[in-house]
Amino acid sequence: MASEHRKVVVHLRATGDAPILKQAKFKIDGSDKFVKVIDFLRRQLHRDTLFVYVNSAFSPNPEELITDLYNNFGIDGKLVVNYACSMAWG
Amino acid sequence: MGSKTATEAQKYVWEGAIPLQIHLHESEVTTLPPPSPALILAPRIGYLPLLVPQIKPFFSSTLPPGSDTVWFEYQGLPLKWYIPTGVLYDLLCAEPERPWNLTVHFRGYPGNILTPCEGEDSVKWSFINSLKEAAYIVNGNCKNVMNMSQSDQSELWRSVLNGNLEAYIRVSSKLKLGLGGDDFSIKLNTSSLKYRQSAADAEASATIKAGRIPIRLYVRRVNEDFDDVEDAPLVDNWDKVSYINHPVEIHDNGKCFTLGDAVKALLPELFPDKSLPNDSMSLPQVEDGEGSALEEASDTGRARSPEDTGESVRECQDSCSLSETADVKLIRIQGIEPKLEIPFAWVVNNLMNPEHFLHISVYVRVQEPITV
Repeated sequence: MASEHRKVVVHLRATGDAPILKQAKFKIDGSDKFVKVIDFLRRQLHRDTLFVYVNSAFSPNPEELITDLYNNFGIDGKLVVNYACSMAWG
Repeated sequence: MGSKTATEAQKYVWEGAIPLQIHLHESEVTTLPPPSPALILAPRIGYLPLLVPQIKPFFSSTLPPGSDTVWFEYQGLPLKWYIPTGVLYDLLCAEPERPWNLTVHFRGYPGNILTPCEGEDSVKWSFINSLKEAAYIVNGNCKNVMNMSQSDQSELWRSVLNGNLEAYIRVSSKLKLGLGGDDFSIKLNTSSLKYRQSAADAEASATIKAGRIPIRLYVRRVNEDFDDVEDAPLVDNWDKVSYINHPVEIHDNGKCFTLGDAVKALLPELFPDKSLPNDSMSLPQVEDGEGSALEEASDTGRARSPEDTGESVRECQDSCSLSETADVKLIRIQGIEPKLEIPFAWVVNNLMNPEHFLHISVYVRVQEPITV
């Protein structure tokens, strides 16, 4: 509800045989939705099927706000996002 | 869920259903006369795509050629399939409509508005990941969910599909996500011998650390000044609903933490705290006669720790423009409009959805600023 224009640092980590990105840390607007991270990874890796997790634990709904995810699950000032080409954590 | 048996309120929630009258969208009707609408009871805790196997036979003879991508619509608004059906109804029908008239589409999935859905598999995936997210909020990890055996996981999912509360409690109690008993219910029930045992159970489980409650909050802002809730205009765009995932921390400071305290923690800008010192700007006050429930809720909020108050000051100032012109009109959980004085632990233990999130729909009236 409150307008959140704070930037959030997202740390992208490859899991399994997923390719590693040249740049792993990005700043993203807190008011953006998680789908923006998913779309970014899809474009970078040229893959339609991708499994994206937070803290090697769960896949958030694409509609969740980055700021909510950061506030709830952020570690050491950043949101850790893991991506894999096949299902990593059921 | 300290005790292993279902509470009466939980049974009501699990048996809760919404009568749907489902119409096939006119663009997909290929026969004359057009097919009659399908009448179906949709479980509150269920999800719309799970109804497709029941709905499809009504319309399969009239569908145009092509492959099915089923989605639902209410008055032009495509419905998000991962939101429990009861929550969609509470949020979108200001005045409960019975039967609820929905339109089903089998073609032309609006991929720009809805996330892709491949039937039950997608819903199950979404459910399990929400459960893991909830576990992470409660325990700081979701090992209990990830270490669940395959058979337990599918039994848990089947219990939700079939609305089997007993089976659900049996499996989900292994996840140790319970909040423990709430004092209110224990006091209420100690007179009866039958409940002594469950009170003892609740005390035992209360030692499990569980202060953070996973919440999914849907805030509907209504700009028009409306006196009756049923006059609220329809939601024609999801941008008009704020979707907030923010846990509520239950403070154990000897005072009863109420639903009002929880809503205040979630939406501090709507509950200006009168006990705050007036510095550069004076915070708006709740007008007298604006509703005693809100007044009381903001009074109990004074007992909060200094740290929290500091946070609410900051957020209050951030969104000062909103606080001056907005007020909470309606709070709906599982189809009921609970009083703000209800102990929040009771609300959580009895009204949460099976993926361990409490879904709260809030209608907020935003007034145009008055210029003097």
